[in-house]
Amino acid sequence: MKYLLHISLISIFLSGCADTPMKEASIEDRELIATTSTTSAGADAAPITAAVISDKSYAASSSTDPSASTSGMRDTDIAAKALATDANKVTTGVVTQGVTTQSPEATPLAGTNATPDSAVGSNSESGKPDRTDILKFEAQPVLDPKDPQSPLAQRRLLFDYDSSAIRDEYRTLLEMHAKFLIKENSARLILQGHADERGSREYNLALGQRRAESVYNALNLLGVPDAQMEAVSLGEEKPVVEGHDDSAWSQNRRTEILYQGE
Amino acid sequence: MLMRLIIALLFVLAALPTHALMTIEIVGGASNRIPLAVLPFHNIQPDSPHSSAITSITDVVTADLGRSGYFTMLPNRDSVSPADPKNLSLSVWKRVGADAVLVGQVLPAAGNQLEVRFWLLDAVRETQLAAMAYTAPASSLRVVAHKIADQVHEVLLGESGSYSGRIAYILKRNGRYELQVADADSHNAVTITTSPEPLISPAWSPDGKRLAYVSFEDKKPVVYVQTLADGARRAVAKFRGSNSAPAWSPDGRKLAVTLSKDETSQIYMLDLISGEATRFTRGGALDTEPVFSPDGRWLFFTSNRGGTPQIYRASLVDGNINRVTFEGGYNVSPALSQDGKYLAFVHRRESSFHIAVMELGSGQMQVLTDTHYDESPSFAPNDRQILYATLVNGRGVLATVSVDGKIRQRLSQSGDLREPTWGK
Repeated sequence: MKYLLHISLISIFLSGCADTPMKEASIEDRELIATTSTTSAGADAAPITAAVISDKSYAASSSTDPSASTSGMRDTDIAAKALATDANKVTTGVVTQGVTTQSPEATPLAGTNATPDSAVGSNSESGKPDRTDILKFEAQPVLDPKDPQSPLAQRRLLFDYDSSAIRDEYRTLLEMHAKFLIKENSARLILQGHADERGSREYNLALGQRRAESVYNALNLLGVPDAQMEAVSLGEEKPVVEGHDDSAWSQNRRTEILYQGE
Repeated sequence: MLMRLIIALLFVLAALPTHALMTIEIVGGASNRIPLAVLPFHNIQPDSPHSSAITSITDVVTADLGRSGYFTMLPNRDSVSPADPKNLSLSVWKRVGADAVLVGQVLPAAGNQLEVRFWLLDAVRETQLAAMAYTAPASSLRVVAHKIADQVHEVLLGESGSYSGRIAYILKRNGRYELQVADADSHNAVTITTSPEPLISPAWSPDGKRLAYVSFEDKKPVVYVQTLADGARRAVAKFRGSNSAPAWSPDGRKLAVTLSKDETSQIYMLDLISGEATRFTRGGALDTEPVFSPDGRWLFFTSNRGGTPQIYRASLVDGNINRVTFEGGYNVSPALSQDGKYLAFVHRRESSFHIAVMELGSGQMQVLTDTHYDESPSFAPNDRQILYATLVNGRGVLATVSVDGKIRQRLSQSGDLREPTWGK
């Protein structure tokens, strides 16, 4: 029993770690450079010139008018060669980065309630909940966000469709976090709001922001100072459940509580 | 004709999964198409090292005009452009039903360049409609071909074509997000930024030299501006909270952005030189997706101040705000035509999201698409088409629809495409 519990705890802890790779270095800018070296210095000199041929006859006139040069064409001369090598770089980057963009903690936490009791229950989902453990936590909850057995390991609040109202079931969860944050005034929170995939990405970003702000305001009312929190939104960009139905959408409308350094 | 189109469409669909390149399929078309013959351009110097590029001119012009939906392209394989267009027998083309014939030739020019000449001839009246020449390096012949298609379109239809513009969009593949810039026919795609975290909302500067966009690389949305020529970029809005929805002012000096630094999502004017953000909208409602009217007099935006998300317009002269959309409970993502007369937006009807257009003068609204998850409309430079993203079999594709809803095209590529925007 204990053994199973440990295995699941370790796996959750490890999956949590996998979510914070060093991503800073992986943003790359690309340059759009003119391929043609013929106009290297005079980059503004148009490589293409257009001219009207005499309208009066079908015969081609060889006199072209250089003053009719179309400027701004330079931008369309795009370096295909530079691209090809870049594409290789991208592919190698993908292999190492692609998987980590998922939120691996999604599966173990999905569908759990937010009360400390059920948090423990879900963490030991591979076996039956250990009754003595539950009693122990009810007696003296461990207020440590890094401890997966702590009630503070509950970080996800779900929301109804087109709503940013906090459900009653999350009251205890918020109180626990508030208690910890007031005691540990060096701890910092990022509240990440999310929306389901339907509709405009930017409007969903605003909806997610509103959900993050709901949690922010609730913690604020519980005494957590502004300086310890930031409410941001990831809109519809980071679903925990890939899918196009009500059950996926209901899991994706959420606010995630992240402690600094996570 | 319709049957042939459908068969061609089925072949395109069947070929999709194996092709890495973008393919284009045509859905529908104008009722009165102009029959047009494009004869292969005559290569004056057959041993030219650029022969294949020269051959491609004809293909690009034919493809551009063919998929526009305005023309019926007559078979041309057995023909060649005569060395002198005077020698072309227009009566022969009139007999096969051509209204117009395009002929051209390519000859070497100074500085290792090529000169591309073309003549557009009226086969019925046997007169010349246009004759032009372009001088360009061989590497730019695709651009020249798009310009020729623009000219033909303008001469025959009396309005400018939009074949030589550029588009920007986000490509998601292998778990990464790429901001790409491509020709309007989706060729010459170049990745200008790649990130393991989402990128959204690219916006062209009015001069087409910079792109603003939103990146989530800092685990929250931050607005960046990137110069296309050198790839240099900087974070222009990275305030506390979320920063998103950049829109350029017509003079290119300001961005309207959505910030949450003071209250919930509100619109601010960001001075790109001083970096100062001035609050523009107030009140506790969600305000986002700002877009300037091309004359700089209005700012259109999405707000839920009336209970549901709708499009509003604020006067930049006196600050008055009024509601623009009334039909339905969800109208978002405003985009304005260059002439300021039309508003394109996303309209929800029976839980599907369609592209709709409104004639601002009359307030008349028309739903243009019948797909279910349409997003991000933007107008072509000639205002005749709207580019948008939609889902086909769970995968993002780009599509265009004419403003009257009659002509539709799809641009497909392996990977997930979204957030397209049409530049100059």
